[in-house]
Amino acid sequence: MSEVAQVMILGLLQGGVYALMASGLTLMFGVMRIVNLAHGVFIIAACYVAYFLFVGPGWDPFASLLVTIPLFFLLGMVIYRSLFPRIEGSQRFSEMTVLLTFGIALVVEGFLSYFFTGTFRSTNPPYTTDAILIGDLFIPTAQLYASMTSLILLLALWGFLFLTRTGYAVRATMQNRTAAQIVGVNVRRISTIAFAIGMALAGASGSLISFLYPFFPNSHWRWIAILLALIVLGGLGSLKGAVVGALMLAVAAAFVSDMFGATWAPITFFGALFLVLLIRPQGLFGREARV
Amino acid sequence: MALLELQEVTSGYAFGPDILQSVSLTVDEGRAYCIIGPNGAGKSTVLKTVAGLLRPREGQVLLDGTSIGGLRPDLVLAAGICYVPQDRSLFPDMTVKENLVMGGFLQPDRKVVSERIEQIFDMFPILRSRAGQHAGTMSGGEQQMLALGRALMTQPRMMMIDEPSLGLAPQVADQIFETIASLRQMGITLLLVEQNVLRGLEATQDAFLLDLGTLRLEAPSDRILDDPRIRELYLGRQLQRGTEAETREN
Ligand SMILES: Nc1ncnc2c1ncn2[C@@H]1O[C@H](COP(=O)(O)OP(=O)(O)OP(=O)(O)O)[C@@H](O)[C@H]1O
Ligand SMILES: [Mg+2]
Repeated sequence: MSEVAQVMILGLLQGGVYALMASGLTLMFGVMRIVNLAHGVFIIAACYVAYFLFVGPGWDPFASLLVTIPLFFLLGMVIYRSLFPRIEGSQRFSEMTVLLTFGIALVVEGFLSYFFTGTFRSTNPPYTTDAILIGDLFIPTAQLYASMTSLILLLALWGFLFLTRTGYAVRATMQNRTAAQIVGVNVRRISTIAFAIGMALAGASGSLISFLYPFFPNSHWRWIAILLALIVLGGLGSLKGAVVGALMLAVAAAFVSDMFGATWAPITFFGALFLVLLIRPQGLFGREARV
Repeated sequence: MALLELQEVTSGYAFGPDILQSVSLTVDEGRAYCIIGPNGAGKSTVLKTVAGLLRPREGQVLLDGTSIGGLRPDLVLAAGICYVPQDRSLFPDMTVKENLVMGGFLQPDRKVVSERIEQIFDMFPILRSRAGQHAGTMSGGEQQMLALGRALMTQPRMMMIDEPSLGLAPQVADQIFETIASLRQMGITLLLVEQNVLRGLEATQDAFLLDLGTLRLEAPSDRILDDPRIRELYLGRQLQRGTEAETREN
């Protein structure tokens, strides 16, 4: 019984961080129909920012959030404004974003490999090996801090989306882009903001996973594969779906890894992806394609 | 006085061919106009081009004599022209009330927005009783009323309404056309696209006949209705379709 609770907790803690990573990705799809294959590589790039702030001036990875969030927000604005307007209005916009962001991912990965080589790195603040014991439940401190921070950031995102005027405009654009335009939303501006927020979430995720999962330039492929599985399960473009999908799959993966060994955990994501596409292609909270 | 003027406007969709070919038309303040023409003639494209959803490739779109061609949709709306698209384009996962709130997006004063929502509720009592319902779950007629109500939130000088009776039962279409008549009484200039030619012409003063992206005819609506030659030449099939629909109603 307590072992089930233990695996559950570990899964949920992981899921919190997955949810943060997936929310940025699903936001970009929801607002702009961008399939951002470069989301993972930007998370890894942010890991390097956190890493060098850690080994250089000795910043704690949580302090590096103060750099990664605004830095990647700005980077998002620049990337969106410089690369996406060219393909805007295309009938095959989403397909083109797949190619474009695949290219971006390769370029950024190339730079990372060139400068930082292929060695595994991670930040190791003192609490990475700590744990809290409640009864006989074992709670790794680093995981706990990271998922609490994810929760706070997700709540902030929720507050922005549901309580501010710009947030209303973002949600309106997600539901119906033309409708948003005809009530006076400047969708170009909203898209830029949404892309930048997605990138800021990638930046924040990088700070958090820098001490949870060792990284090297190539490891973003693994992440983007998992993240795509999460948001397809939740329903592409649904934030609620991304969070629920992340928690569910992380818990499922924790059980799989507990029963069959850690090497089998990734299969959970792709197995789930396969099943979702077979049974409910629109995902948990997705809208069925409308004509 | 000319409120809106299109001067030899050529327009089309991204990377596609020209759909409108040198279309010129004038809309005077306070009058009601109907654009008629077969499917695919480019009627919706005219409205989208004026609304700023499409950028004219050539020619001018003038509002009060100043160019608005290629302006962003939010700026066209702020200038007083609002657009109710053929698919109504509501926010399906927002409630009726929230849709109206979004209609007041350009109005920064929230008090003014709630006052206007009350006015819309007075005009469409059905919307008040459905205030908390998600827009996507309403009937076609209710959705069209919400689309019109949401457009009115901007207090437009001119409304462009694309096929308001599309897919509606005749009685419901009657209601919508009553609403359209009251819009005229409010002094709003109207540019209507209607596939039900009879109804469209009856609801308006002047008509533009569009075919294959070119303007074929511009005449008072009642003249088109009354002149057997015009009817036969340009509208034979369509009017018949309209008439059939009307007779089925009776
Ligand atoms: N989003 C689009 N992208 C590309 N071409 C389009 C698009 N929408 C319409 N078209 C094309 O533009 C032409 C005119 O379409 P439009 O919608 O303006 O016609 P319409 O007169 O409104 O017809 P209907 O009565 O069917 O609404 C058609 O040939 C159509 O295929
Ligand atoms: Mg049309």
